[in-house]
Amino acid sequence: MTDSKIILSVKDLVVKFRLRGRVLTAIREASLDLYEGESLAIVGESGSGKSVFTKTFMGLLDGNGWVDFGEILYGGENLAKYKTEDDWIKIRGKNIAMVFQDPMTSLNPLKTIGKQVQETVELHQCLKKEEAKKAVIEILNDVGIPEPERRYNQYPHEFSGGMRQRVVIAIAVACKPKILICDEPTTALDVTIQAQILGLLKRLKKKYKLTTIYITHDLGVVANVADRIAVMYAGDIVEIGNCEEVFYNAQHPYTWALLSSLPQLGVKGKPLHSIKGTPPNLFHKIKGDAFAPRNPRALKIDFVEKPPYFTVSPTHKAKTWLLDPRAPKVEPPESIEILRKQWGLSKDA
Amino acid sequence: MLKYSLKRLAQSLVTLFIIITVVFLLMRLMPEEGYFGQAYEKLDEAQREAILTGMGLRDPMHIQLKNFYKSLLVGDLGKSIIYRPKVPIAEILKTKIPYSLYFGLTAVVISLIAGISLGIIMARSKSQIWDKLGTGYIVFINAVPAAVYYLFLQLYVTDIFKLPILFKPDNTASWILPAISMSLGSTAAYAMWMRRYMVDELNKDYVKLARAKGLRNKTIMVKHIFRNAFVPMAQYLPSTLLYTISGSIYIESLYSIPGMGGLLVDVIQRQDNTVVQALVLIYSSIGIIGLFLGDVLMAMFDPRINLQKKGGAR
Ligand SMILES: Nc1ncnc2c1ncn2[C@@H]1O[C@H](COP(=O)(O)OP(=O)(O)OP(=O)(O)O)[C@@H](O)[C@H]1O
Ligand SMILES: [Mg+2]
Repeated sequence: MTDSKIILSVKDLVVKFRLRGRVLTAIREASLDLYEGESLAIVGESGSGKSVFTKTFMGLLDGNGWVDFGEILYGGENLAKYKTEDDWIKIRGKNIAMVFQDPMTSLNPLKTIGKQVQETVELHQCLKKEEAKKAVIEILNDVGIPEPERRYNQYPHEFSGGMRQRVVIAIAVACKPKILICDEPTTALDVTIQAQILGLLKRLKKKYKLTTIYITHDLGVVANVADRIAVMYAGDIVEIGNCEEVFYNAQHPYTWALLSSLPQLGVKGKPLHSIKGTPPNLFHKIKGDAFAPRNPRALKIDFVEKPPYFTVSPTHKAKTWLLDPRAPKVEPPESIEILRKQWGLSKDA
Repeated sequence: MLKYSLKRLAQSLVTLFIIITVVFLLMRLMPEEGYFGQAYEKLDEAQREAILTGMGLRDPMHIQLKNFYKSLLVGDLGKSIIYRPKVPIAEILKTKIPYSLYFGLTAVVISLIAGISLGIIMARSKSQIWDKLGTGYIVFINAVPAAVYYLFLQLYVTDIFKLPILFKPDNTASWILPAISMSLGSTAAYAMWMRRYMVDELNKDYVKLARAKGLRNKTIMVKHIFRNAFVPMAQYLPSTLLYTISGSIYIESLYSIPGMGGLLVDVIQRQDNTVVQALVLIYSSIGIIGLFLGDVLMAMFDPRINLQKKGGAR
């Protein structure tokens, strides 16, 4: 993907929230380059800041939050400087669109789904009523809703969860955005529907040449939808690389922990790995590597200084002192060793 | 929709029937002096019995009840006994209803406009000064007995603005204060509901999606939030509307407005059984009609109501 051009570039982003008079730092100097046409997955445990991070691209932070530092470069502009609604209107829907987690609550229960899609179409494509309706029906058809003419006049409660998520997706792609952010688009759906929705998103991505960001807890589906994986911990991207690189040659102890807890990778006869401890308190200033207190393999320096990115390959980098040439050799957990061997890489090579 | 409305109508009629019956039976428990007026003292036991028998009040209960239904069906509410002896109650009401209606409607209009606007302003400035002022007002109205601020208004505000203390039909200024007093309670209620429902809606996911798709806050406010918040309001509107008209009992006697509310107080004090009976029936019918209209209105706005008949999601 390095050959395509960067469509969105986030530099040292810091996002803070004020909560009951105290300030918490949800995103801590996170950086990310998003390449045109790629599909990036962001993984990380609950509260790691995946949603907050991507919401800043659309100016959708809750009222008590703000971008404290950093840049979000898109289309030659710094979105981090955007303040007014007029600024953001240019971005939302047209350039960057979002699919939310829960299709049951994402639609207005009192408006027909046709009207809800049409709102977007009329807004961005300046179509007249009848043309707009035609466009809507076409989009509904596109996202796999049968009998779109009839469905146009129905209300959300007449749709199943999967069908509603298709409507939400229709709304998101209605204006042909450049970037589509899917924030856990299938978490609320059952497994068979999940697969259908993921399939649909892949198809639409191709058809509309979308750049997509998938946010997910589920490392299992990542390989299926993403070219690259970004691992987020405590508001920072600690490791990023191609799918294979992150899966089979993970470098950050947090990525190891995430991978080890995958049921697919459990070693027979042993209890499934779970990450000990809790994420750091975001109200406090974090010193060193945020994961160090939960990392049984932590080095002394992990508690003192924040690691920079170390390059593993041109497409793969991780923020861990283990990659520093001066670091002592540390054995990854057993399951990671197995993964590395599967990839044809021995740790000595 | 139609089916739902008809079903609710049938339910309402049954409720009305039950209420008519209960009211009738309760009224039989009232002291029997109420059927004689001034003459009570002068009559002996036998004469009283004769009069009661003549009025059909010594018939077996089921016969009495049947006669009562019959006369109601043709719109005959009976005759007044003490208040204005031998005058049909319908006749009396004819002169009273217009006053209650005018005041009620004025109060409704004031409170709808003031209450809903206040609610919207409060929801938009959540936890800021307007919200706090509005909340203060609502708490005050709900915590302090209405009689207290009604009296306060009558005693002090009339003085400050040189308004008449009592109502005189030909003096327009004397209309102002009763109408405003009457609207205070429902203004608070509308504001409270509007604020609550709007805040509820504001925090819903579909609002986030609407923002994400590029709608302006103003558009979202009007086309999504206000509209949705209004639906649960629609259910209460007819009831409170009718309630405001009948809620004037206290104010009408306070300002001596010759309306229905004042009449009720009057006839209860003077034990005019038949008029009390008629008025209680009217008020309870108003209540039932309000609930019925509220449900129908809500069903008109909310497509999910029809869900009860058919299975929804497919
Ligand atoms: N409005 C807010 N006020 C205060 N703190 C917030 C707010 N929104 C998010 N946060 C905090 O920011 C951190 C990151 O939250 P975020 O929702 O981005 O996590 P996430 O990775 O998306 O988690 P999940 O997988 O559960 O969706 C959390 O600690 C959360 O408590
Ligand atoms: Mg999230």
